[in-house]
Amino acid sequence: MYEEPYRWVEAVGNRRQYLDEQFKQGSPVVALAYEQGIVLLTVSKGTPKLYEIYDRLALGGMGHPADLEKLRFSLLEMAHVEGFNRSPSDVTGSRMVKYGIAPVIKQAFEEVFKAPFIVKILLAELGPKAGRDAFLVINYDGTFEEGSGCAVVAATRQVEQEMATYLRGQSSIPLPLDRAVGAALRAWALGDRAQRRAAEETGGGEETKAGTQSGAADAATLDAHFRHAAAEKSVECAVLDRTQPGSSKYRTLTVEELGRLLPPDVNLSLE
Amino acid sequence: MGMQGDFFQLLKEQGYQFGAPATAGSDLEMPNATTILAFKYRDGVLVAGDRRATAGNMVMYDRTDKVLEIDRHSVMAIAGVPATAYEMVRVLEHSFKYYRRTQLQELSFEGKLRAVSKLLKENVAAALAGTGAVAPIFAGYDFEQESAKIYFYDILGAEFEGVEYAVSGSGSPTIRGILHYLNTWGEQPLSALSEEQSTVQALRLLTSAAEFDSATGGVNREANLYPVIKFITAGGVRTMPDAQLKPLFEAKVVRHV
Repeated sequence: MYEEPYRWVEAVGNRRQYLDEQFKQGSPVVALAYEQGIVLLTVSKGTPKLYEIYDRLALGGMGHPADLEKLRFSLLEMAHVEGFNRSPSDVTGSRMVKYGIAPVIKQAFEEVFKAPFIVKILLAELGPKAGRDAFLVINYDGTFEEGSGCAVVAATRQVEQEMATYLRGQSSIPLPLDRAVGAALRAWALGDRAQRRAAEETGGGEETKAGTQSGAADAATLDAHFRHAAAEKSVECAVLDRTQPGSSKYRTLTVEELGRLLPPDVNLSLE
Repeated sequence: MGMQGDFFQLLKEQGYQFGAPATAGSDLEMPNATTILAFKYRDGVLVAGDRRATAGNMVMYDRTDKVLEIDRHSVMAIAGVPATAYEMVRVLEHSFKYYRRTQLQELSFEGKLRAVSKLLKENVAAALAGTGAVAPIFAGYDFEQESAKIYFYDILGAEFEGVEYAVSGSGSPTIRGILHYLNTWGEQPLSALSEEQSTVQALRLLTSAAEFDSATGGVNREANLYPVIKFITAGGVRTMPDAQLKPLFEAKVVRHV
């Protein structure tokens, strides 16, 4: 029945709606350049959402864990085979996305007989020098964007923009790690709050209209939201640290480190 | 079967072949002579190697690095045909990283040892034909046993644990005896030496090897060329900088008679 062009367009449209619905409850992912590299942060429950891909490449994802795992494996395979056959410096985020997973995600999205990938992906690439970092964001339909300084994935484009604007407003120069973690955490809180409000709005009719504008974005309010939203979940935080010895620059921050780096008023009981 | 996290398997699936099929005759002069050594000292394991690469009686290169870091906690010192040895190191390096990144945990120390054996076995034909023989020393920190360990291999892939020390390469017969003597009747066993004392011993051993083996480079002070010396402890692998080797060599190794 999809052989008619109109039906196909309709089916793809339905797919968009279905996928948008899937991300509503998801936890956003934030990546931000700091003094010595890039910090990534998210809040997760159960399955991790931040991964090491290659020496200078980190992955953050939203969506279905099984789909994320599939794409993570193809990224890992591609990166390691390429890094072995050519050289580690030929393994760039941009190549992995453009010629690697973006076409695969797009194809799955448009083959309306098959299931699409329920994922949004963020790839952070540590550059050889500060200021040369790259951030790539791939949407569930295979479209991608490359940026610098910071990147986020969240339920909707609007929320993503709100979060990115917040991050850009923090500082024009890269922050030290503790302040970068603070900024990433507040951007996450901002995104999570906006997503919850959007969900309430569509669920609860029109009366909440007044509350939809993002509301206060001061540190204390966002920290309070974070405390509430991240309770009983775990804060995941990883860095690509330019100063780390050896070729692998990725490192997951330990619970103790996070305890020191998180803003004091967040004071989560980290397990 | 990417789910197993086996990088070597993945390479083979992509058409990669390790080591050339053996066809060459045995009268080719392959660059393969060297001296590498490893022994346990107070804080972990010291691994050292000279820097000369030779082909027959010709010196090919005097700045070879034969003590190679595979990851933050393991080192392979190579003796044998460099082309094969470097390729092995590259495969191992990517295999350990690939395993860690796919399986989200470090490959165990035993797993790492097996990986070295497997590559050597894959290489048997070339080793026997004389075009690809490698006899490495593999040393690393074993977190399960909480100690640094030394293993050495023959060219066919058999694995032996060097409980106190291990040597390989053309200069090794000379220093094997010295190591035995030092460890048995020295003022203190090798395992009691401090980092500085063990460095002095390593420099003396390589200098002795160079004295009797033309294929071992030793120390060349005029060219500021010192052996490569690395330490493996729970904290990872560390290289002794030349700036520290130089004064030690001058004070403790050069003969002052």
